[in-house]
Amino acid sequence: MKRIVLILTIAVFAFSNFIDKAFSQKQSSNNSKQNSSVNSVTLTLPRKDSSVRFAVVGDTGTGTDKQQQVADIMVRYKEAFPYEFVLLLGDNLYGGEKSTDYLKKFENIYRGLLDNKVKFYATLGNHDEPHQRFYDHFNMNGKEYYNFKKGNVSFYSLNSNYMDKRQVKWLEDTLSTDTSEWKISFFHHPPYSSGRKHGSDTQLREIIEPIFLKYGVDVVFTGHEHFYERIKPQKGIYYFISGAGGKLRKGDVKDKSALTAMAYDQDMSFMLIEIVDNQMHYQVISRTGKTVDSGVIVSARKRSASVSR
Amino acid sequence: MRDFLCTNDDRFLGGIILARSPYVMKHSVIKRTVFVFRVAILLCLIILSVSVIAQEKKDSQIEISAKDKETIKIFQNHTKEYVKAREEVRKKLPKLSKESTPEQIKAHDAAFEDGVRKARAGAKPGDVFSRDIANYIRTLIKAEFKGKYRAELRETVLEADTKGVSLRVNYPYPETKELTQIPPTLLLKLPQLPKEVKYRFVGRHLLLVDTDNGLIVDYMLNALP
Repeated sequence: MKRIVLILTIAVFAFSNFIDKAFSQKQSSNNSKQNSSVNSVTLTLPRKDSSVRFAVVGDTGTGTDKQQQVADIMVRYKEAFPYEFVLLLGDNLYGGEKSTDYLKKFENIYRGLLDNKVKFYATLGNHDEPHQRFYDHFNMNGKEYYNFKKGNVSFYSLNSNYMDKRQVKWLEDTLSTDTSEWKISFFHHPPYSSGRKHGSDTQLREIIEPIFLKYGVDVVFTGHEHFYERIKPQKGIYYFISGAGGKLRKGDVKDKSALTAMAYDQDMSFMLIEIVDNQMHYQVISRTGKTVDSGVIVSARKRSASVSR
Repeated sequence: MRDFLCTNDDRFLGGIILARSPYVMKHSVIKRTVFVFRVAILLCLIILSVSVIAQEKKDSQIEISAKDKETIKIFQNHTKEYVKAREEVRKKLPKLSKESTPEQIKAHDAAFEDGVRKARAGAKPGDVFSRDIANYIRTLIKAEFKGKYRAELRETVLEADTKGVSLRVNYPYPETKELTQIPPTLLLKLPQLPKEVKYRFVGRHLLLVDTDNGLIVDYMLNALP
């Protein structure tokens, strides 16, 4: 009898312990689910040390709630993927450009990033007055076109509104002496696009593509079209359109365009980029935090070295 | 050759005989003739295409006459005179820097506009875009942009919403209005300007606009065909 009671006691004790553990596991699982749903960040980027990390967004300057929502997602992703700067692809301010417009359409919107010392490098769009180049937060240093370097990556911001002989000469002279692993150019008007509203800027392409090819530009980011599109590599150069940071033209991408590798025109979006050695990883995130595209690109110099072996 | 022809292999000999029969020979000659004729037509088409392309290229490298060179030189001198006048005004203003606030940029622009307007009081259309240079530019655009290139040029230029922009010399291009992208292919053909002044289209009309203060320096009507 005593033995039975002892066995029963041990059994009850073991069972209650089991129940207790099982319950606490479920509780922590619920908690972690709640945490990930609060953060809702899914990264496809490798997050390596010493990588060059930045965001890309274009056609932002509306000052609307939706622009703010994109900015909020950018801040949220910065917590998981600390990037140091943002490329602004033009149409930085729509409409007026008074000091209140700079606040409403830029500073207040991106306060979360500016306060975290994230730098913005802007280019001029067809809605931007040239005097934006004097605005401190756009880091244009008073120039309509300029370049800068981060790690093994050179960036070239161009003024595609006005591609005159002077700018073409500057671009050629600067690129010709650039030995960076990566050469990235960003400007407003897309040389390649499947947009119904605008489409490819063939006249701009005619002038700058030969220069890009001659001097080994790897990647081009543009805006102007209010959607995201990854263009199939054109003569070895990768083109991205990221013009849905503040405006969206839903359904504007032509169906079955021969240019399109991937396109998203259902919601606003931005890009995150990480460059590690000879690889560029990209992730495109919508206004609601959904990943709509991701992948990796190998730099032109690495590709040609592989081919020559 | 005779031994070859006189072989005892009947089938082979038969083939040789067949190949050499008048009917077959005539047929093969006809076939050969048709083939040569087709090649000749193809060659003619190629030569014709090449010459048409060469002619188009030649057309696009239109010679600038001595008179036009003089016209361009006068135009460029007028733009340099404008720049000289506006630099005199700008030197007296507080300098903008990369740390300039929007308020400072705005105040600078307003003072700059005002100063240049006063320095150019009495400026009127045609002071810089004289009749000669305006005609030269119209002719240039018409000659350089034909067919689909002209259609593309018009599409790019007329895409921007510039309705409501008043063409007034010495008054600013409205900042709320979109800027027309100047097609690079056109820009590289127009007379070069100092960096302080830019071409800009409003509809079919071509403007000269101050890069920094947005003032309309001058304009010409119907530049675009």
